[in-house]
Amino acid sequence: MRESQIMFLQYMTGLLVLVFGSFHFLLISFLAPTSDKVLYSYGGTGYTHVLVGGTLYYTVVKAVYSTLIWGSIFELLLTVLVFHIFNGFRIILSEQFQGERTEKFITYSLLVIALIIFIWGSRTIVLMLSGGV
Amino acid sequence: MTIENKKGWISWFNPFKYGTDRWMYALHRLTGIIIGIYLLFHVFETSEILKGPVTWNSVMVSLDYPFGVHFGPLILSLVLLAVVYHALNGIRLTIVENGLMLPKPYRPEYPYNPKSLKGLNNFLKILLGIFMIVISAFGIIFIFTGWLP
Repeated sequence: MRESQIMFLQYMTGLLVLVFGSFHFLLISFLAPTSDKVLYSYGGTGYTHVLVGGTLYYTVVKAVYSTLIWGSIFELLLTVLVFHIFNGFRIILSEQFQGERTEKFITYSLLVIALIIFIWGSRTIVLMLSGGV
Repeated sequence: MTIENKKGWISWFNPFKYGTDRWMYALHRLTGIIIGIYLLFHVFETSEILKGPVTWNSVMVSLDYPFGVHFGPLILSLVLLAVVYHALNGIRLTIVENGLMLPKPYRPEYPYNPKSLKGLNNFLKILLGIFMIVISAFGIIFIFTGWLP
């Protein structure tokens, strides 16, 4: 692919990240089905913390993850974001370390890391969609 | 292939004695790198949910109290600032780098004050600043208190 086409993809994925990312933020703010919408509102002090509510409580998060719509939004966001971020890293690194062989090395090593992250994230999403562990 | 007089990193993060665009460029890179590293961490952290409620809840607590202090919301606020800046500046760059909202090409004349840095481009930057302050203020208030308008 030509560099200009990749840059076009970078713009497009950037805009898509904006769309899916705002869903992601809506999720942790408006849609959380708790009476008190305080993030990180845990009762108890000292060494034993008891979770009393908040949007990141296990059952709440699990309920979100097992919805097909949210699952697909997460998956799309992950795909687009991984591309955007690792292409960004590639641009930064290949500007710093120039040369044909170096650039190939950068591209393929980042591709491997990106795939690992993508598979790792997809694993969470798919396993949670199919009921969790 | 060696390239002489290549400054690399130092020149990206040295926006002094240049215009606002250079500052915004440096910040865009910096926030991009921060968000990228955050994603790696976030993917790992959310995968902890597969280990069941006990692990998940203890992860949530330890993220709220890293180093034994109530640092969680603070770190989250910094990430929010980075995300808001990167997103807004990204929109601005998508507009400007594709040649929209810029003046027509013209012959440069002494003292070479670029027209592209005036007019609509400047307006976009001011708009970015306003949105940045408003969104991040609401976001940080939400992170710390849970208050929504």
